[in-house]
Amino acid sequence: MRMAETGGAESPMMSLSWVTLAIVVVIGIFSIFSLWLGFQAYGSDHPEQANYYIIIGTTGFAIVGYMFFRTKSITTKKPLVPKADVITILECASCDLKRVRDFQRGDYVYKEDEPCTRCEGNMIITGIHRRAEPQKESPRQS
Amino acid sequence: MFLQVGQLFGENSDIGMLLQTLFSLSFIIYLFYAQRIQAMSMLRAVEGTLRKVKNIRDEGRRVSIETVKEVGKPENDPTPDVERFLEHFLIPPVDMDPAGVVSKLGQLLNVRESTFEAEVRAIAPEASDSEVNNLENLLEASLALNIYYKVIRHFYLLGKKTMNIYVIMQIHMILPMIVREIEAYSAALQAFKDGIPIGDGVGALVAAKLMNGHAWKEVAKEMVAAEVPYAGRTLVVIKAKGPGGSVGKPGDAVSKIIGERKGKDKVKAVIMVDAAGKLEGEPTGAIAEGIGAAIGGAGVEKYKIEEAVKAQSIPTYAVAIKLDITHVVAPMVEDLFTATDRAVEAIKRMIEEKTEEGDVVLVAGIGNTIGIGQ
Repeated sequence: MRMAETGGAESPMMSLSWVTLAIVVVIGIFSIFSLWLGFQAYGSDHPEQANYYIIIGTTGFAIVGYMFFRTKSITTKKPLVPKADVITILECASCDLKRVRDFQRGDYVYKEDEPCTRCEGNMIITGIHRRAEPQKESPRQS
Repeated sequence: MFLQVGQLFGENSDIGMLLQTLFSLSFIIYLFYAQRIQAMSMLRAVEGTLRKVKNIRDEGRRVSIETVKEVGKPENDPTPDVERFLEHFLIPPVDMDPAGVVSKLGQLLNVRESTFEAEVRAIAPEASDSEVNNLENLLEASLALNIYYKVIRHFYLLGKKTMNIYVIMQIHMILPMIVREIEAYSAALQAFKDGIPIGDGVGALVAAKLMNGHAWKEVAKEMVAAEVPYAGRTLVVIKAKGPGGSVGKPGDAVSKIIGERKGKDKVKAVIMVDAAGKLEGEPTGAIAEGIGAAIGGAGVEKYKIEEAVKAQSIPTYAVAIKLDITHVVAPMVEDLFTATDRAVEAIKRMIEEKTEEGDVVLVAGIGNTIGIGQ
């Protein structure tokens, strides 16, 4: 793990240090060698050993791949700043008409908002909250 | 199959020799370096979280600067001022001699508030009072994210420097809880930027529902009160002045109202309603009733309320609306919004059960009133 200094403050940077890189290279070479031995063994006096060599070689490559993708996923992950879907509930004090729309900047509870579409009155914001998320199916209990 | 494996590990097999050597080697390595491997693994987990927190912190900083520019329309680039704000700190008073520490802390918090307000007005000259409050809240959320990031980074770098497992464990063990708090603050950015009611505002929303339609006046700094007749009683309902993001000074408001009302106008009971952290398993929006001053924060306002009610032996009742830590500063969820109606009903029932006709009852809706008028 390498750290970089920027403007006096340290912050974590790329995770693939030279030690990790060396390990990845060694495992990679070992895996290639093992695969080569495996293919050689098919044509030799001990074909049964070929499978084991190939398994070892493939496992080595899997480890290398895991190490590589794990590093990559950490370094390129996008920030997790969620944006909630917020709704505004409007009600007309005169005719009880209720309307729901997306939240707009400047909305607040008990603000006298737009004119009522059904009568002469004004609509008042009576609620602002996040839109309910669809319920996830809970596992059935026996 | 087993025979083949046996052959593989046989003494005469090259690969068997190789694997045996590898196993022996890894055993020896693990014998000496087990703790180091564990420390490295924990450091890696901390590093991943640190990266995530850095992204959120940077996003908070970006949103703050963008909003200051958008709302405040400053003549110069506000970036250096916002960055200076994000490094702000408060030195708590010495508590070796605890007598009078509450008033000392209260004075420090007042100075902090007025400093923040002055700074926000300076960097956002065109912002209205409500927008100044919202900007203050937004910058405070960014400041909190900055502190979280710096603390995690401190333990990470210290752990890496010393490779001491106990240093690394300190942060690794509490990482899941910290991540939840950080995610809550990241959700707060949207709420404070746009002025959306947050989970902590349920208490203020309950008070707003009770006082809506009645004349109100300012009774303390950023605190409003309205007299509401209910079932032969007079309710004095107080909340922070909205719709800007503020918690006001409920302690000052309660002290003032109790102190001013004498004789037959004397306050007979205080009912406080506030959001309260729920335990895992409890539903969001559950209502619980209890005794005492339902108010969080540094403790200064709670102290003032307790002193005021103690002086006149006024019973204090509490209504708590349960919410998860991730809901506290995030835009209000529907469960909490619907819970406010149940809380209003609970307060009305408590008033009928615990007071008599002609009594004056003080109802205090505690919490941040962002996005909630009166």
